[in-house]
Amino acid sequence: MKNLFVMSPSELIKQPLFVAFVLIVILLAVGEILSPGFTSLDQIIRLATVAALLGIVAAGQNLVILGGREGIDLSVGAVVSLSVIVAGNLMDGMNINIPLAFVLTIVTGAFFGFLNGVGVTLLRIPPLVMTLGMLGVIQGLLVVIRQGVPSGVAAPALADFVSEPFVFGLPGILWLWVGIGCFMAWLLRQTLFGLRIYAIGSNEQAAVMAGVPVRTVRIAVYTLSGVFAALAGICLLGYSGASFANVGSQYMLTSIIAVVFGGTSLAGGKGEYTGTMLGAILLVILQSILTTVNIDEFGRQIIFGGTLLVLMVFYGRGKGLRA
Amino acid sequence: MSKLILTNVSKSYGPTRAFKNGDFALEAGEVHALMGTNGSGKSTLCKIIAGSVKPDTGTVTLDGKQVNINSPQDARALGIGIFYQELSLATNRSIAENILISQVPLQFGLFVNRAALRKRADQYIDLVRDVAGEGFHADAVVANLRSDQRQLVEILKALATEAGILIFDEPTSALDRVQVKRFFEILEKLKGEGRAMIMISHRMDEIFEISDRLTVICDGAIVATRKREETSPKDIVELMVGGRSTLADDDGPQLRTSSIKEDKPLLSVKGMRGAGFQNISFTLKGGEILGLGGLHGQGQSAVLRALFGAAPIHSGELYLKEEIYRAGHQRRAIRKGLAYVSGDRVRDGVIHGRPIQENTVPIHAFRQYLFLTSFGDLSPKLEGALAKLSTKFEALTSSIDSLSGGNQQKVVIARWLIDKPEVLFLDDPTKGIDLAAKADLFALIRELAEEGLGIILYSSEDAELLNNSDRILVFNGGSITRELAGDERTRFNLYDAAYEVAS
Repeated sequence: MKNLFVMSPSELIKQPLFVAFVLIVILLAVGEILSPGFTSLDQIIRLATVAALLGIVAAGQNLVILGGREGIDLSVGAVVSLSVIVAGNLMDGMNINIPLAFVLTIVTGAFFGFLNGVGVTLLRIPPLVMTLGMLGVIQGLLVVIRQGVPSGVAAPALADFVSEPFVFGLPGILWLWVGIGCFMAWLLRQTLFGLRIYAIGSNEQAAVMAGVPVRTVRIAVYTLSGVFAALAGICLLGYSGASFANVGSQYMLTSIIAVVFGGTSLAGGKGEYTGTMLGAILLVILQSILTTVNIDEFGRQIIFGGTLLVLMVFYGRGKGLRA
Repeated sequence: MSKLILTNVSKSYGPTRAFKNGDFALEAGEVHALMGTNGSGKSTLCKIIAGSVKPDTGTVTLDGKQVNINSPQDARALGIGIFYQELSLATNRSIAENILISQVPLQFGLFVNRAALRKRADQYIDLVRDVAGEGFHADAVVANLRSDQRQLVEILKALATEAGILIFDEPTSALDRVQVKRFFEILEKLKGEGRAMIMISHRMDEIFEISDRLTVICDGAIVATRKREETSPKDIVELMVGGRSTLADDDGPQLRTSSIKEDKPLLSVKGMRGAGFQNISFTLKGGEILGLGGLHGQGQSAVLRALFGAAPIHSGELYLKEEIYRAGHQRRAIRKGLAYVSGDRVRDGVIHGRPIQENTVPIHAFRQYLFLTSFGDLSPKLEGALAKLSTKFEALTSSIDSLSGGNQQKVVIARWLIDKPEVLFLDDPTKGIDLAAKADLFALIRELAEEGLGIILYSSEDAELLNNSDRILVFNGGSITRELAGDERTRFNLYDAAYEVAS
């Protein structure tokens, strides 16, 4: 890719990263006009925290979509909800329980992600159907586990990590997100695994002929998606302090929008996590503005769904999804 | 009187003239065979008649009237039906529906009349019922049929158009002897009705059995039309060779002299059978370039893909450096030092939208178990491999899509050169690439053979085979029918073998 600084305006407008960045600035300005104080430091940090939660889920979604063959993970939201409850119950408000709760929650997420991967590769179930089925399974499990009674409390240290200033006045979750951003860049650019994700997403047949273990890579990608969703679930527990019903369900749609906003092609093989991070920030600002102007949850859903469809019109040109 | 006459028909794709000087006449009540080697223009001629290719110049007259065939629909309306070589059946539907797919009998113009459909289909099915084998009835689902039965359905589908002119492109490739005999009886009956048939086949014996006249096409031009009684297979092969010498380019490299140093076989194959080939046996020595020849699609590509593990092998023994080798997976093949370059680089080679470096590195990374790909350290190796083919590119980080087709193929080949393989399979590697790139590629192949690699080269361009192979195995109907070595490597022998009677 050419350096953003040497591009002409007509080229710039085709760069998703640039478009996302401009939109973020515009939306912040709109927010400030509608509700003075929207761009205060506290408020920005709060927005960034919410964006980090979404960004962590979207990291997994990003990998799955990059892997191609119509890859998509509709179960991320359900895994987040499940992780909040698993982590909350295991911690039970005690700092000492954090390590065990952390490990077991991550393992749970990895397990469901692994099942998705196996279903998509070995059983040849289309990703849309496989992960939608998994979403149903996990939601059913949630009802069974909870018996309708909310339970699970975050450990104080976790809540502090997510909400209280950690280093340079920023909460730990933001540093975690920056770390994940670096990790994703390293994974996708510097490791063979990353190149293989792009290779199978771009031309699976050629990848097979070049010795890429396509199924293994794809299973790993879905497993990572489960891991990222579980990690986001733990952080979300810290953010809200206790578990609530289906707290994660919104992430199904928003994680996909963040990825597409960031310039990743739904056909696979093209895109980077940096764009997804900007996409997550953009989406969270939009969400906040909609709340400010008193549009309720249903209205937001309509707007988000519409946004995704509009994005598909702009970015979906060229290579067809099934090409 | 002539039924269909093409006068001065030509067709070009860009600078390439696919067909020129097309004066062709098809008489009522005859079977007219089209003969020619790969890429000679047989298919182009058929496509022009069937309306799927529009000629640049020339006129077509049917029964004395000039007609325009601009689409397959036009052709059908004029009474021209075609049998497709690539099976074009709706596999989940019944035989009856497939046969009558374009003329399903309707009730009230809306509902399918099942009874009439079955009755009409049965009329056609009865033509072959006793030779078709078990389970061949109107309601049988095509997906459950054997390949010969599917081909019969294709034939019946063409017959059901009741067209006055029928085009058959390799209609007998999957049929057994009895079925072929029946098919020819049907053709004889159609001849009696005054219908005209065009036939393409790679079996010389069948062509001489059924056709009334033969037209030889060479390099896109009609060379001659002969009556069957006045010609012989040898005559036809000589016409196909034309005045061309064995070498494509008289200034270019001469017939290859072998660079085999060791006498031990590098790869030996005994009695290998799989989808599209059977009874394949040969040995390959280090330093040898073994050519696979014959008409297109006679199993050459299928054999190479199977050896590389991209398609299953049903039976047979394989030895790599005198040790038993089990094919079946690409990764195992790569680890064992096998390399495969496909001519279909868009499907099998290029990782689109990614930089050149990522397109060059995968085999090296896989064979060396790399975990990290720090291109800073790797780039000398990548550049070295790309330089061997004099690949032209701006930077290793440029997208592969910025390169020409020839340079893309060079990148795909360069993949295999960082860690040298032992055996290189080239599956029509020069398809659609420019002349300069071809020259670079063959220079490299000869150099690799000097270094002791065993190379198997399949090419649909006969000159490439004749110029570069030590030996040529000629394929026909999925089997090796002849081996050409030394001075036998001539165009005449190659075409003669390609059309040889399938045993």
